[in-house]
Amino acid sequence: MGEMDFIQHEVLPSLFEGLGTSILLIIPSAVFGLVIGVAIGVFRVFGNPLTEKLASTYVAIFRGFPLVVQLFIWYFGLPHLGIYLSPYTASIIGFSLCSGAYHSEYVRGALLSIKRGQLLAAQALGFTRTGMIVSVILPQAIRRALPGCGNELIYLIKYSSLAYMITCIELTGKGKIIASETFKFTEIFMIIGIFYLVMTTIAGRLLQYVEFRLEIPGFEHYGA
Amino acid sequence: MSKPPVLRAENITKRYGKKVVLNNASLSICERELKILIGPSGSGKSTFLQCINFLVTPDRGRVWLDGREILRTHKRDLNAYRQKVGMIFQDFNLFDHLTALANVEIGLTRVRKMGKEEAREKAMQGLEQVGLRDHIAKYPAQLSGGQKQRVSIARALAMDPEVMLLDEPTSALDPELITEVLAVIKDLRANGMTMIMSTHQLNFASEVADEIVFLEDGIIVEVGPPDKILYEPECERTIQFCSKMRELYGNSR
Repeated sequence: MGEMDFIQHEVLPSLFEGLGTSILLIIPSAVFGLVIGVAIGVFRVFGNPLTEKLASTYVAIFRGFPLVVQLFIWYFGLPHLGIYLSPYTASIIGFSLCSGAYHSEYVRGALLSIKRGQLLAAQALGFTRTGMIVSVILPQAIRRALPGCGNELIYLIKYSSLAYMITCIELTGKGKIIASETFKFTEIFMIIGIFYLVMTTIAGRLLQYVEFRLEIPGFEHYGA
Repeated sequence: MSKPPVLRAENITKRYGKKVVLNNASLSICERELKILIGPSGSGKSTFLQCINFLVTPDRGRVWLDGREILRTHKRDLNAYRQKVGMIFQDFNLFDHLTALANVEIGLTRVRKMGKEEAREKAMQGLEQVGLRDHIAKYPAQLSGGQKQRVSIARALAMDPEVMLLDEPTSALDPELITEVLAVIKDLRANGMTMIMSTHQLNFASEVADEIVFLEDGIIVEVGPPDKILYEPECERTIQFCSKMRELYGNSR
């Protein structure tokens, strides 16, 4: 069997299967991560002293622990407390919480960039605090946070490869198995690298499109 | 017997650190009146206005609307009160992510929970009233200063306020644009809106104010009708300030 044939019939189907798992890991983690990031960012800027403290502690822990360690805790640690998570669930929880911690910093920076006058104007109209955050502050802050959050999403695509460390066999995991069996490390990991490159490129384009769609006068990105 | 005041603020005091920016300032205003605060920059005009609707929390002092005291610790009362007291800012503070129309609508839909269509109609009317019918779809970044300030007036008016507070509404504007905003304020005055306004436009003040309040270093120095404050003031400081302003902006007579 020729090299190309082998790659086409043996390697690629297996890698595509792994790619499917990767995508199933990335999409929910991205969504949960963003939601967590926005919530934590808001608590840090507009929360009361207690929620502010809790949110800062969360960020310190989830940004401070290595992600692999977090995953090990979710998957290997929790069973000691009688909580059993599937590799897939443990990965999603680990990625979402970690991603959320990073997103929250981009969101926090964006929230802090909103001029005080916007808050005063909303309060003067009789907005409640929550109403003001939802209707006035976040729509502006999210536009400003988008480039940073996009960066974090691209990271997420790549660190999703850590799921195989807790036996959730995604793209990198599949590749490692085939490579160990065939010793074709170079070819297989080159292909995997290209798969990730394609994913991050598509994600980059999507983010560009979202930024373009959300662009309004006064919030342009100059020189783009 | 005189009418009871719509809005009454008493003994408002505000300190920032050791600096007393507002010292026992009191003011009351009756329906359809226009009172104008004048005074040098840093005299506490803005702080006074912002204390009246609690955008700045006063250290001491009480505020009544229609004879009811406003307790700022009671969130719901405070928000209801703020809906009845429109505020215009020196630097407009339009919501930057919304069109002119949406800026006026948002208070109606999100605060007053008005239906979308009703809110749109009311917002359109408001913008028409300030002469911006052709600019409803523009974002703040696409409007001139005078247009922005007129949108902000429409936004405040849409809430059907009982009183409006105007904090140097023309100070951030080019001389040419000042007229268009003052014209809108005159219009409001003619329609009987109750207003407290701080300004450096003494000519305008002498033309339209019922009463002028001269504020310096956080203290109300002198209060009286425009003719008295601007031309026959009693206090030395008022005389100095008014003559200086006249030198800068010319005499209205």
